[in-house]
Amino acid sequence: MTFHDQVIAILPKLRVQALSLTRNRAAAEDLVQDAVCNALAAQNSFIPGTNFSAWMHRILRNRFISDLRKRRETTDIDDVPASTFASPATHEDRLALKDLSLALSRLPADQREALVMVVIQGMSYEALAEATDCAVGTAKSRVFRARRQLEAWMTGDMPSNDKLRVKVKALRDAIDVRHRAGQSADDLLFS
Amino acid sequence: MTGGDKSQSSSGKSKGDDQDSPFGIWLSRGLHQLFDDVASEPIPEELLKLIEEDRKK
Repeated sequence: MTFHDQVIAILPKLRVQALSLTRNRAAAEDLVQDAVCNALAAQNSFIPGTNFSAWMHRILRNRFISDLRKRRETTDIDDVPASTFASPATHEDRLALKDLSLALSRLPADQREALVMVVIQGMSYEALAEATDCAVGTAKSRVFRARRQLEAWMTGDMPSNDKLRVKVKALRDAIDVRHRAGQSADDLLFS
Repeated sequence: MTGGDKSQSSSGKSKGDDQDSPFGIWLSRGLHQLFDDVASEPIPEELLKLIEEDRKK
């Protein structure tokens, strides 16, 4: 596979990473395009046979950080509305998804990115560490803290949406009952 | 491509992780709903053109 084929093949994963960082689809598309431009310009620095995926994810991440520094001169990325994790969710899930989106937007960008790359892209902690230029322990910690924080917000520490807290608690209780009875809870989770 | 993300030697699904807890399962499902369609959308022609033009250099 040529360098350019590898760039094309990794684009879907770059989009997911970009959305996890920017929380905005349009900004994510721009970030992917900018990262691809940077990668094309720096292709001679890529050593064939080394980890292309990690190299490309690092370029996108560095570009995001660089853009963020420039933007912070005029605005704060954390003030950007969290409305743009656009998703065609179905009926009952819509509220919970909206709140998950909101909760995600409250996480630090590095934790959000780490969680998404592990859960959505199935990355190992080693691969995540290489892609985000940190120690494996740091990568693990980011994912762990993201999960713990989201759980806290979604199940008890999100006073702005008590309905959601009640709903999640009821779901967890129902799943626990099923599991204790040795029954599957898939229908509760995937209905 | 030597994708390092194939290795599962210490993945987010490892034993002792809470990905298999009820909340972990719910979270995974929610994240997939939020992100999966982004990954599957067609790549913009403009971006592909940019890459192909560079390939010809």
